[in-house]
Amino acid sequence: MMAAWRDLPVVRPGDGRVTLIGLLLLLLGWEALARSLADTYLLAGPVQILRYLMEERALMARALTATLGNALAGFVIGNLAAILLAAVALVWPRSQRIVTGVALVVFCLPLVATGPILRVIFGPGDGPQIVLAALAVYYTTLIPLLVGLRAAPSGWLDLIQSYGRGRLATLVHVRLRVSLPYLFAGLQIAAPAALLGAMVGEFTGAERGLGVLTVRAMRGLEVEMTWALATVATLVAVLAYLGIGGLARMVLRDAPPILLAPPRASLPFGTGALRRLGSAAGVLMAVLVLWWGGIAALGLNPFFAKGPQDVLATLITDSDAAATRSLLAQAMAETLILLLPGYLAGLAVGAGCAVLFSLMTVVAGVVMPLAIALRSVPIVTTAPLVVLLLGRGATGTITLVAIMVFFPTLVACLHGLRQAPGQVMDVFDSYGASSMQRLIRVRIPAMLPALFAAARMAVPAAVLAVTVVEWLATGLGIGTLMARAASVSDYNLLWSVVALVATLSALGYAAVGAVETRVLRRYAPEQLA
Amino acid sequence: MAADRTPPPRIVCAGLAKTWEGGLAALRPTNLTFEAGQTTALVGPSGCGKSTLLRMIAGLETPSAGTVLIDGQPPAQLLRAAGLSVAFQDPSLLPWRTVRGNIELALSLARRPVDRQAIDDLIAMVGLAGFADTRPAELSGGMRQRAAIARALATEPRLLLLDEPFGAVDEITRQQLAEDLPGLWEARGTTTILVTHSVTEAVMLSDRVIVLSPRPAEVVADIAIPLPRPRFAQDARSAEFGQLADQVVAALSLGRARHDGPLAAQ
Ligand SMILES: Nc1ncnc2c1ncn2[C@@H]1O[C@H](COP(=O)(O)OP(=O)(O)O)[C@@H](O)[C@H]1O
Ligand SMILES: [Mg+2]
Repeated sequence: MMAAWRDLPVVRPGDGRVTLIGLLLLLLGWEALARSLADTYLLAGPVQILRYLMEERALMARALTATLGNALAGFVIGNLAAILLAAVALVWPRSQRIVTGVALVVFCLPLVATGPILRVIFGPGDGPQIVLAALAVYYTTLIPLLVGLRAAPSGWLDLIQSYGRGRLATLVHVRLRVSLPYLFAGLQIAAPAALLGAMVGEFTGAERGLGVLTVRAMRGLEVEMTWALATVATLVAVLAYLGIGGLARMVLRDAPPILLAPPRASLPFGTGALRRLGSAAGVLMAVLVLWWGGIAALGLNPFFAKGPQDVLATLITDSDAAATRSLLAQAMAETLILLLPGYLAGLAVGAGCAVLFSLMTVVAGVVMPLAIALRSVPIVTTAPLVVLLLGRGATGTITLVAIMVFFPTLVACLHGLRQAPGQVMDVFDSYGASSMQRLIRVRIPAMLPALFAAARMAVPAAVLAVTVVEWLATGLGIGTLMARAASVSDYNLLWSVVALVATLSALGYAAVGAVETRVLRRYAPEQLA
Repeated sequence: MAADRTPPPRIVCAGLAKTWEGGLAALRPTNLTFEAGQTTALVGPSGCGKSTLLRMIAGLETPSAGTVLIDGQPPAQLLRAAGLSVAFQDPSLLPWRTVRGNIELALSLARRPVDRQAIDDLIAMVGLAGFADTRPAELSGGMRQRAAIARALATEPRLLLLDEPFGAVDEITRQQLAEDLPGLWEARGTTTILVTHSVTEAVMLSDRVIVLSPRPAEVVADIAIPLPRPRFAQDARSAEFGQLADQVVAALSLGRARHDGPLAAQ
């Protein structure tokens, strides 16, 4: 019966003491490093940060309150939207491919550009922060929820049916309860993501909040403040993550599963080329209708609210369309040159570390909980630190993208490595296979599904990371192009970039998903059923 | 209890067959009648299509050909009136509900009143006294199966389908259940179809044993069991019982031989 939750990649939280020791070691190492680098003005240690936070506690508390309020509002709205969308897909199963497809495209909107657009739509205030927070969370809740709602073993459904009851009874007595752990797993990922969304929203010119202070600290090269802000954001994110975990434990009366990467939902790229094409066209139509209809329905000012027809004109029919296209192509090239190595490095280092740690059981015990906690850190909010440490060049950007990809990959792969079926391991043991052989023949293949699930989710995350660094710091690529377009109110260009980036990320996500399907077919066929 | 009940149903399968998508045949076209109020055992090697046949009778699976008629009506009719219970091969208890909770859910699904005492009696009868408020995860496999049997009985079905209900139940408890259960469904007037692997169990519990061949299933023998009731565990040692059991065993090997042909005998 527990099979219901088997296809969910889960990890039980590790031993608390081990985690604590790991954390202490980390803090000590950090302090030592900070002291030895004291005269470079790059790194602030824990003691220094604590002192700063004590001195500036009024300022920090005010900023934190503002950010938390917006993050919470976005969290609630985004998750309600996810639940609503899941309900639509449930009531009307045929719509699911369209719903998940549109949801993916919206999730792939570059926050860096939607931020400024929302800012002109909402004017001053909290609107953009809340919307961005909501946008950052709804997808990671929607997908697990959809999977959870369909995860009930067929025996339970037969049972309901054998008493002559239908879909409503099934929903009430089985599906809702079965989907709860999935919902909590989604919410757990959503909590730090909401914080990230709210902060990115604040980057776009809010009056108050951690994001506002972050931008100020970075512009003024205030090392202590930058580190203090990143620390606060990290702590809050980890606490939110743990808090929801605790809540889940109370409600489920069971250790909550930790979701490594949202499981697969049947995306509009399912089986059969024709059907795939059909759903892709359906998604495209739906996106266009929503885009165009949304602007019309809300009566937005056409000066800053550009529709599909405007983007088409900007990119194809306008007299200077060719120039725009080459501008975009150049920016895109600058971005991709940094994005791809960062993305691949993050995946490779994450998977490599996982393999390495799995050979050293003790290390894995320390690393796993830390990695799970650090995975919830809104990495992007530490972008200023990376810039501070590594400069505004290629290294900094690549590193940030890699870090963004690294943590989820590491956690997913560590888990995948543990998934190697016990009996298969026993067979290898009975032949006296070396641990290296076991690793290569059994553990690594068992890890692949987790690696690809992480790789899929990492696509939008990597795009977010690269655009934020470009926008905040490096002055290169598509992120900067968006910032510049926003600052000179060239909304035609801005919307074109948004459309382009969202399309490319969604395609990237789908492409990784397609590779994932092939890998799963070979190594974990049961997950495709 | 049984006074105001509609009498147990008679089930007629006519030309009933199932071929799965992909061409795997599970059941050859079969004509079978299950008499009202009788207990019929379906015996056959595993994977031969017993569960499939049972699920088609329950209206949970659509036949590829032929029909199932329960008192002249399609199964959906009986389902809608909640006159059917299935004890599935996999106990299918909801893990977040206790034993009692699972039984209460069945009652509420079947729109029957919840009678606490009756539930307790049933739980005691399947040997789970003291485990009413335990969750399935804390029960052994056999205990879970017994909880599922109790649940199936709780709604007082007119048609009871039992799919290998004692698979994981220990021998002693199994004997006890085999003595107790027939009395219960006889008193209530239930048509019962029991799928089992065990020849002894089949003869012990039923009025008639139908032996199926390996997949695709086909009726090899239809053996009446005219032993008097109530039957007790020690009756299995009687000569009559032994003869009937031998007939079933012979039919099983006949089915296998017919299926495999002379060459595949190894
Ligand atoms: N849903 C299904 N789809 C395809 N094949 C099935 C399905 N259910 C059962 N089968 C196949 O049908 C055959 C009969 O299965 P079943 O009726 O469960 O056998 P048993 O006699 O052991 O209960 C088996 O070969 C099984 O693999
Ligand atoms: Mg079966």
